[in-house]
Amino acid sequence: MREGLVLSLRQDRAIPLHADLHCAPGEVLALVGPSGSGKTTLLRSIAGLHQPAEGSIHCDAEPWFDSARKLNVPTQQRRIGMVFQSFALFPHLSALHNIAAAMLDVPVAERQQRARRWLERMHLQGLEQRLPQQLSGGQQQRVAVARALAREPKILLLDEPFSAVDRATREALYYELAELREELRMPVILVTHDLDEATLLADRMCILNRGTILQTDTPDQLLRAPASADVARLLGMRNLFTGTVREHGSDHTILEWQGQRLRIRKQERFAEGERVAWAVPSTGVLLVNVNSGNLLTLDNLVNVRVTRMLSLGEQYRVTLQAMNDQLTMNVPRHVAQRYAVTEGQTLEVRLRGDLVHLMPEAAAQA
Amino acid sequence: MLLHRILRPLFALVLGGLLSAAAAQGQTPTVAAASDLQFALEEVRAQFAAETGHQVQLVFGSSGNLFRQIVEGAPFQMFLSADEAFVSQLADLGLSQDEGELYAIGRLALIAAAGSPLQVDSTLSGLRDAVARGQIRRFAIANPEHAPYGARAEEVLRHTGLWDALKDTLVLGENVSQAAQFAASGNAQGGIIAYSLALAPNVAGMGTSALLPEEWHTPLRQRMVLMHSAAPAVEAFYDYLQQATARSIMRRHGFSLPGEE
Amino acid sequence: MDWTALLLSLQLSFWTMLVLLPVGIWMGRRLAWTQMRSKSLLEALVALPLVLPPTVLGFYLLVAMGAGSPVGRAWESLFGQQLTFSFSGLLVASVIFNLPFAIQPMQRAFESIAPEVREAGRCCGLSPWQILIRIELPLAWPGIVSALVLTFAHTLGEFGVVLMVGGSIPGETRTIAISIYDRVQAFDNQSAGLMSAVLLIISLAAISLSYFATARMTSRPPHA
Repeated sequence: MREGLVLSLRQDRAIPLHADLHCAPGEVLALVGPSGSGKTTLLRSIAGLHQPAEGSIHCDAEPWFDSARKLNVPTQQRRIGMVFQSFALFPHLSALHNIAAAMLDVPVAERQQRARRWLERMHLQGLEQRLPQQLSGGQQQRVAVARALAREPKILLLDEPFSAVDRATREALYYELAELREELRMPVILVTHDLDEATLLADRMCILNRGTILQTDTPDQLLRAPASADVARLLGMRNLFTGTVREHGSDHTILEWQGQRLRIRKQERFAEGERVAWAVPSTGVLLVNVNSGNLLTLDNLVNVRVTRMLSLGEQYRVTLQAMNDQLTMNVPRHVAQRYAVTEGQTLEVRLRGDLVHLMPEAAAQA
Repeated sequence: MLLHRILRPLFALVLGGLLSAAAAQGQTPTVAAASDLQFALEEVRAQFAAETGHQVQLVFGSSGNLFRQIVEGAPFQMFLSADEAFVSQLADLGLSQDEGELYAIGRLALIAAAGSPLQVDSTLSGLRDAVARGQIRRFAIANPEHAPYGARAEEVLRHTGLWDALKDTLVLGENVSQAAQFAASGNAQGGIIAYSLALAPNVAGMGTSALLPEEWHTPLRQRMVLMHSAAPAVEAFYDYLQQATARSIMRRHGFSLPGEE
Repeated sequence: MDWTALLLSLQLSFWTMLVLLPVGIWMGRRLAWTQMRSKSLLEALVALPLVLPPTVLGFYLLVAMGAGSPVGRAWESLFGQQLTFSFSGLLVASVIFNLPFAIQPMQRAFESIAPEVREAGRCCGLSPWQILIRIELPLAWPGIVSALVLTFAHTLGEFGVVLMVGGSIPGETRTIAISIYDRVQAFDNQSAGLMSAVLLIISLAAISLSYFATARMTSRPPHA
């Protein structure tokens, strides 16, 4: 049996589930998907707060749920630490006692001592006696995390823990979580709908939709090679189009897109003549004059017209019309200014064929 | 915390009282009596206690209601009805020791509160006038269904031809005391109630009354009976009621006595 | 002033509260968190005494536990005493009649506890019993006290059901409310007035005490 969390669940009623995952000790696995995608149900199943129809859940080789053997270990006997979206602190207990409540199997005196230490570790000294309603959102979140960890759990579960907190506090909490990670030797599963957050915090991400895990991989890999058009869409990739594979060369593939032949990275698994979906990250679309040097063999020039420039702080998100499709690229502000990129302008952009990724043409949705 | 210092001993005291009082209940035997005996029987009871030292508790109500309760098992040890029928029924049901004894003959009276437009008199001519003038909006009698005094009041009204005129204005008391209440308080412009109640100082002081002829209704022969559960004190009370002192008290309250009619 | 009647009323209120405390907590909790389809029906049944005339309840109780009924006879053979016209009978009637006063505030109190807080308790390793004692009851306590006070005050004022099921037996079923009725019929307004005033003061004191206690409870952090 492998260490860490091993899960395989199937469910057809009310909330559909079709998930297999593994999270190793010390690894942060993010469950990402739109609301209703089943990610919270999955997390609650691990916690024991939801009993799935079929499947099994093991943690460190210890079985927690096994439908075949009709085994379902109650939540209180699974050593889990859970941080709820709303924190769910006990409103009538002080911060100290909230944390102590997770340690009822420890003698009283030691319990208080340990709780105090956890408060210090989470930078909450001086706030021992405060009630949850007397704490700020960020402070409540830290108490919730401390309470989860005080249990000395085998796994840490975080359900959209940063959504109820403002941006600045969230950034601070990201750092604290990163710090904690260094010391924690347990699997950590984080549910979030925020891709940026997941990309920042997670070692691997599971992309979920309608209860099914579509793809599990590192954030980089996911963006580089999404398994399907659905995944690409869920990852927020904007440059998603259809095309036809024309031919496979020795070290490249020709993809026909709106009559234009593009040279892209060789991807043999699609037959010549097959219609495909394809995606290229925003980083794969560049201004021609920007980079010095010649075009690389897998670069393609595309004629476009700038239809919109959306200012996003340090850079612009530029929408380009390429015949019937729209390309998106990001241009740093100073670059846009230097090259006088403006709305309505027609220009040529460089499409990096080595970053183009082919996927099966999207099947009709069930 | 001041509140705690008061609350804790108070609670203990109350708790102690509540739990211990359970023991001291219901030791005194209970006697059920028709409501017309409200004042007369109280006096007899007090006198009985003074003379013999025996205590009994009195519960008043309409004879019919008390009869029903006895049938349903109410713990009364003696029953003084306002008529004979209920006692006979009890005897038939085997719930009483025997057929009982006649202890008093009751009478009816017409009453009106001070300030009522009704002029009371024994011929009911004043009532007739008030009815004709439309001055009687509400007229009180006991409920004829289970109060003998109510049934007799209906008989009187029918006999004098006033029933049809008054039947829509009737307010029925649950027992004859309540009917007296309605009339004496002025909430009803008049009423036909027990003579014994009309004579009582509490009631008499609230208005005027007139004794009604006994030929106008079937007699109110009031019979009492002992239950099987009767304690010696109650049996003594039963005997006491048939003796001189009790009889004179009853006479003063407007009752005729058996053997003297 | 009928002290026996007053004591009897206080006893009836006290014992009713005692019986309804566990019943109310149990049922209030079940109703708060169940998703049963029959939930609405159950809630309606519990609320029935609120809209039912006391005489209807009194009638059904007489039929159900009177001397001739199976329940009545069983009781008599077990305890040697009758159920109707006795304090025990009053207690049964009082408990039934006070169900909504006890259960509804307690149900609201438990409903006000976010389900996630209870789930957090489970995640902390607390057993269901520990969650009840350490988390649910401390949070629901004001609602529970409120329910008990309502029950107490309502019982003191019970009249119709008590009269039908208990009669007016002094020392056994003649509560203070009935005693007042009795005194009025006896043209003894002085006693009636005195007892009415006493009842008014007790009721007012009970309600004030409960509001005061609730206010203090919600501002003071208790221990874990």
